[in-house]
Amino acid sequence: MVTMIDYSITIVGTFLAMCMFSTLYGKSSPLYALAEESYIGFGTGLTIVINAEYIWRTGIVNIMQGDYILILALILGAMILLRVHPKYNYIARIPIAIALGAQFGLNLRTIIFSGFTQQIVATIVPLFEGDMVTILYRWTVALSVIFMMTFFFYTIELSGSLKTSAKIGEYFLYTAFGAIFAQTFMGRLGLFVGFMQSFTVPPWKQPILLAAMIIVFVAVVVMDRTGMLEKYTPVE
Amino acid sequence: MSDNGLMKTLATYDRRWVYLVLFLVVIIPLLNPIGMPISVSPDTVQYHAAISSVEEGDHIFFTLNTEFSGYNEIQSGIIATMRVFIESNSKICVAVGHPEATGIPELVFQKLEHELEQNGYQYGEDYVILGYVMPNEASVAAMAQDFQGTISQDWLGRSIDDTFLSEINTWEDWDLIADFTTGLATTYLLNHFALRGTPMTVNCIGVMIASQKPYVDTGVYLAVLQSMRGGAELEYLTGHPGPGLTAMDAFTFGHYMLLLFIIAGNIGYYGYSRKQVGGR
Amino acid sequence: MSDILKNRELQLAIMALAFLLVFVPYFIESPGLETASTKLITITAIVNAVTLVLALQSQVKRGLNVIQRRQTGWYFKAYMIITMILMVIFAFFGRETGPYHWVMYAVVNPLSSVNYGILAFYMASTAARAFRARNTQAILLLTTGFIVLLYQAPLTGAYAPWLEPIALYFGNTFGMAAGRMFLISVTVGAIVFGVRVLLGKETSVLGIRQEDT
Repeated sequence: MVTMIDYSITIVGTFLAMCMFSTLYGKSSPLYALAEESYIGFGTGLTIVINAEYIWRTGIVNIMQGDYILILALILGAMILLRVHPKYNYIARIPIAIALGAQFGLNLRTIIFSGFTQQIVATIVPLFEGDMVTILYRWTVALSVIFMMTFFFYTIELSGSLKTSAKIGEYFLYTAFGAIFAQTFMGRLGLFVGFMQSFTVPPWKQPILLAAMIIVFVAVVVMDRTGMLEKYTPVE
Repeated sequence: MSDNGLMKTLATYDRRWVYLVLFLVVIIPLLNPIGMPISVSPDTVQYHAAISSVEEGDHIFFTLNTEFSGYNEIQSGIIATMRVFIESNSKICVAVGHPEATGIPELVFQKLEHELEQNGYQYGEDYVILGYVMPNEASVAAMAQDFQGTISQDWLGRSIDDTFLSEINTWEDWDLIADFTTGLATTYLLNHFALRGTPMTVNCIGVMIASQKPYVDTGVYLAVLQSMRGGAELEYLTGHPGPGLTAMDAFTFGHYMLLLFIIAGNIGYYGYSRKQVGGR
Repeated sequence: MSDILKNRELQLAIMALAFLLVFVPYFIESPGLETASTKLITITAIVNAVTLVLALQSQVKRGLNVIQRRQTGWYFKAYMIITMILMVIFAFFGRETGPYHWVMYAVVNPLSSVNYGILAFYMASTAARAFRARNTQAILLLTTGFIVLLYQAPLTGAYAPWLEPIALYFGNTFGMAAGRMFLISVTVGAIVFGVRVLLGKETSVLGIRQEDT
């Protein structure tokens, strides 16, 4: 059973979505600006609500349950807000220092393993185990990583075998970029297909989609022909 | 040499023709599905094996690190995976890493209402929605080291004391992290949970595949499910067709369309543009 | 008091202490240190969440600037600020149902979807117009891209299964190697940058201007 609320959500959502798609016409329009500012406004409001709720649940609720050390978080948070004050912005340096120090501690204690040692071990170690296909895969990966890395040596002059290695690395990189581009396009296409699915399933949404497309397209073309686009489109 | 009209057109057409054709090749198959066959990749088989190994009573951390746009791409993987977990009678804790994702759990559980009912799932006893609890790396690290000290309420402000989450203290108490991501808190989950030994699977968007595959190779991830296509393959493997499989027609035509445009562009380049610049 | 708070060495010392309190307990088992470290991490999580207010202030300031100067389309910025406030007010009426829920599904979700969905168009048009087999590197890129794109279309895998091992080879070797290479490079860069900040060589991160040093 489709309710009036479902209809209203679909009509407004479809119309705004088509307004945002109107940028594909090639020129900005007031309809695009309406969609853009709606997203920014409501989206920012949503972010405020959700973040405030996070601070409430993680900070204030835990303080009320007896974890008084977290009062320090609220004090430091208030200090960091003074960053925007022209006279007292230096007060924010202490909480920034604490947050940065802790952040670096969190970051550096793990990425050394996940992003460096483990990656090198996985590249080099198992080069002679497994069947022919596995060995081919592993040698390709090992050689590719080494050659590609030499391509990015900018601090020394590349000559001789290093230069050859960098050249091979360049070719391997372009081969890799082809695969990466294909995967990236798959991702983007998936985003668009998924979006269109949400406006074509169930079938009662289809006439609304069609109507919204026609209305927005006609409106943009008419505004372009009558000069209203330049007059009412906000300047960024 | 005289201009060849067709070659010139292929080399200099307005890009809005690409937009129009892409729009049509996506919307037409969605309105009139054909039902083309698909093949299943080894990565999806590996992912399916990883999530199927979950046992009754296992604690699953189901993390949605995606904006709502990403949900459109990986919803098939999200729903298919959640179905597997519900059918295995595991305990599921849903958390999100982006404010826009707070509406996703509701959509997922709506689509799986029948499975929830069939397996007698009760909120609090079998599944809990925590909401937005991963705004930054420190929050993820705090959850890994002291879950009870960080999280005390669900997304609607109800205490988690009487739920199965009272059994969770640190990263060791989770049996699996199933992450669905566009790249938000996934690295934090990897660094503070998976690196410490918590098993983890990832369903990522297409853009992230190259960056996530190295972690499968090093054994940090159990498996990676790739984009919408991976979700469709998972639906096929689990025997429950859904949004992924129905989108595959449009997916196929979108890819073929791009290939045709690239070929046409190169024909136009060699037949017109290259000659215009003196055959360089 | 202000001189103490502005002291560069004090800030660096505090940053280093915070770093050590988080870094050391990861490698050395000590229940007391572990507890203190976890509390500091929780505090940091909350402080980081509060910094959203700074981003918000900047956005609202820009919007008010446009409104005050009555630039073309200033009413859109006024609309943006009003909608932001409205969404916060709506949250007080409940989040499971009501206006908050309606706005989430009618405005935020569809527009978020379009925001990224539109990239498919830009990618397709850029690829169609820019990918030309001009030289060896471009030919390599196009060949691999062609094979992987063809494989990714599900129909191809069903009728040309011989393409799968070739496409998987390109994706799982060259593609993964590039991903791994960038990961190693970024990691080394992050470590170097982190050490430089901790040693006080990157003062701009702390908000210390050059003339203050």
